[in-house]
Amino acid sequence: MSQFIIQVNGSVYGDQASFHALQFCQAVIAQGHQINQVFFYQDGVSNANVLACPPSDEPNLNALWREFAKAQSIPLINCVSAALRRGITSEQDAKENGLAQHNCDEQFMMGGLGELVTGIEKADRMVSF
Amino acid sequence: MKKIAIVFRRSPFGSTSSREGLDLALLSASFEQQVTVIFVAEGLLNLLSDQQPELSGSKDYIATFKAMPIYDIETILVCETSLTQLNLTSEALQVAHHVASNKQISQALTESDEVLVF
Repeated sequence: MSQFIIQVNGSVYGDQASFHALQFCQAVIAQGHQINQVFFYQDGVSNANVLACPPSDEPNLNALWREFAKAQSIPLINCVSAALRRGITSEQDAKENGLAQHNCDEQFMMGGLGELVTGIEKADRMVSF
Repeated sequence: MKKIAIVFRRSPFGSTSSREGLDLALLSASFEQQVTVIFVAEGLLNLLSDQQPELSGSKDYIATFKAMPIYDIETILVCETSLTQLNLTSEALQVAHHVASNKQISQALTESDEVLVF
């Protein structure tokens, strides 16, 4: 059994990276390995946008990540500085920055790049999408 | 501690990829990982001096590449083939670096625990 950390850099829509990452995560679990965390960086932070609202017959990656993480108890970490620059804000970030709204899914936690680096240190293997 | 290789392959303009790669490189080094940075293809353009990122709506993060040695990023490799393809000389690059052959870059990647590409 190996411990994985997965990095997602692709947007919630317009890029297949996030979908491939999710499929890879499902395969990793199915093979009996462990995923320590999924870290969202660059445009990947948009996967946390709870307001993403695709047509009902298309995959909703925000919902798919949320369900996957909940079922497997895997932390989803969003890089906070990448997220704030792209308009993904948690309730706390919104308060601190005087914003009227917030849109970060509760299943996603805001974290720093330090969590990615310490995650890389602990894991056997990192895979980026 | 892990050996982390960060590859810069995109131009400093047109996307924020290099900037976010640089943030990760400096942070990894400050978390005491052994960081190697490798510049290939248009990624070499990040190292040209006298750029004005403000003119294209970006903060001047390019100057921050010069801080890499301060963060103890000691191995800075620049692809020899890319230098030739872009018609650049080693002297045009503002950060002290090693000009590396394809074989040397390949070896550096093999020796790394993890490789991240920006």
